[in-house]
Amino acid sequence: MSTPPERVDWNAVEQSPEFQELIAARRRFVLPATIFFLAWYIGFVLLAGYAPDFMGDSVYEGLTVGYCLALTQFVMVFTLGYLYLRRADTVYDPLAAKVIEQAVGDPYADRPAAGAATATAPAPPAPTAPPAAPANRGAAR
Amino acid sequence: MTVIAADVNVEALVIFAIVLSITLVITYWASQRMTGATVFWAAGRSISGVQNGLAISGDYLSAASFLGIAGLIFIFGFDGFLYSVGFLVAFLTVMFLLAERMRNAGKFTIADVLSFRLRERPARTAAALGTLSVAAFYLIAQMVGAGVLIQALVGIDFSLAVLITGVMMLCYVIFGGMLATTWVQIIKAVLLMIAILVMSVFVLEKVGFNPIELFNRAKANTTAESTFSLGPGTFLSRPIDTVSLGIALVLGTAGLPHILMRFFTVPDSKAARSSVVWAIFIIGAFYVLTTFVGFGARALLGQGGVEAAGTGGNLAAPNLAQFLGGGDGTFGGDLFLAIVAAVAFATILAVVAGLVLSASGAVAHDIWSNVIRKGRDSEHEEVLVARIAAAAIGALAIVIAIVGGEGLNVSFMVGLAFAVAASANFPALLLALTWRRFNTAGAVTGVLFGVVSAIVLVIISPKVWPGPDGEGGALSFYDLANPGIISIPLGFIGCWLGTMLSTERGNEREFAELRVRSETGLGAERAGVVA
Repeated sequence: MSTPPERVDWNAVEQSPEFQELIAARRRFVLPATIFFLAWYIGFVLLAGYAPDFMGDSVYEGLTVGYCLALTQFVMVFTLGYLYLRRADTVYDPLAAKVIEQAVGDPYADRPAAGAATATAPAPPAPTAPPAAPANRGAAR
Repeated sequence: MTVIAADVNVEALVIFAIVLSITLVITYWASQRMTGATVFWAAGRSISGVQNGLAISGDYLSAASFLGIAGLIFIFGFDGFLYSVGFLVAFLTVMFLLAERMRNAGKFTIADVLSFRLRERPARTAAALGTLSVAAFYLIAQMVGAGVLIQALVGIDFSLAVLITGVMMLCYVIFGGMLATTWVQIIKAVLLMIAILVMSVFVLEKVGFNPIELFNRAKANTTAESTFSLGPGTFLSRPIDTVSLGIALVLGTAGLPHILMRFFTVPDSKAARSSVVWAIFIIGAFYVLTTFVGFGARALLGQGGVEAAGTGGNLAAPNLAQFLGGGDGTFGGDLFLAIVAAVAFATILAVVAGLVLSASGAVAHDIWSNVIRKGRDSEHEEVLVARIAAAAIGALAIVIAIVGGEGLNVSFMVGLAFAVAASANFPALLLALTWRRFNTAGAVTGVLFGVVSAIVLVIISPKVWPGPDGEGGALSFYDLANPGIISIPLGFIGCWLGTMLSTERGNEREFAELRVRSETGLGAERAGVVA
């Protein structure tokens, strides 16, 4: 391994414009999305708790306001999940790859040929993926 | 002692035997590939996004989700569905805040992430305490549930049913580790989805594939003594209880050790996030279909089926299956009942195996390997201790479930597990990953505040001390059914207070390292080898 993460200057990477750009890009989506989904969910729970009659009102025959609002929660989860996945694949991953490239240099150096790692993985690792690193320090101590 | 009752369901026994044989073959296969700690706890990081999505669903959808929610909808109507919404929305919390960061910064347990930049021994001990509390309450709840259900569905004695469940669970974990557990969970998820889909189609067929007609018939099938309603307020009659439960559900999932542990089994953070999206779609579809089963039970079995559905309506779904198959005494009816019983059994096995595995990680990887042996033990020793720990934890759970017996309130124990997860594990994990100033004292105080407040508030709750009139609690100053709305803020306050009162400054360099690693995946251990 040409540049093991032990020799990475973590403070410098954290201060780098590439890393700041990644954090900002992720935050631009995750922060409003989190506020929105918590507000929509807690609003639903508050209505269920404090306005049971409204929630029990019929929209069409046996279909109630409560059931429809519950279904909007499902639609919200599916939509936000899908949107996040798409943004992560197209925006955050390339930004993260740039950060890693800056930090450890040529990602292909000493990289073992794709082997068992990719055999069972859903997709081959991105070309800019980091070199295989030794065990994480969190657990290595 | 009659171990097997006279009315034992032969079809169910045969199907049980088939399911158990398949899982034992998988366990044998996994045991042949057991090369070390990474396979034991993380399945060699070889699980793909789709596979992990299925396994998360199998790990998460307990008997409480399948039989419990269908039963609550059958008896109370809309309020049962409130649980489903909370259980599902919770995955956005997991996805946005934790899933990828856990994969990037951790190795086997949530303590790996928590102790990354904090002082190793106190932080790990605190995280292990949070993990073990959640796993213990959840595990005992599931074991008691397994015993009650198998006794009712198959006619096997309660104690024997608990024992079989416990022994199977220990087989998977001790011999096959995470690799076997993952595949048991995947198979269970597939079986469960097929079962609920087939039941839903059968139910909808009875109403001309018109869900609204299903609601109409469900509503028409109530009597004066029914608690059933298409609107809220029947099961959770006090608004504050609804809100408190709702908050505990949406934040609790992000603190469940056996769910978070699943993110260590995939090769990278990309697979971690795709697995959450797969889980979201599978679990979401499951909960929508549960409403067809719950409302279907009400529409087709009616008020007359309430007594047969037992406590909390847990047997509503199996009874509905029997009805859809042709009714009691017919071959089709018995067969359908047997299949649903076997699926429910597989459901419980997959969940308890995941729980025991996460608890063994807290004991062996955190306490033994890193706190007691300070990382000087061999990997071989770590896995050996994990197996011994799993056996001890499993044996203890079996004994408590049998001694506590059928009287233990299952939903109470599950509610407690979610409350502890949301109040202790979630605040500490989130702040460790995002708050630069956070320190060891903050983590320890936060976890202690969360665990203690959740447990104490449940112990003094009206569920434990019902008032003389059965309304409200015996303790006039406190009557919340779920402690979340108080204990979760207390968990966060504990984290903040401990941090501020301590003179220890967070280690700047290590926070930078944790932040870069968790956000980018730089230096994360990638897929290992599973032949």
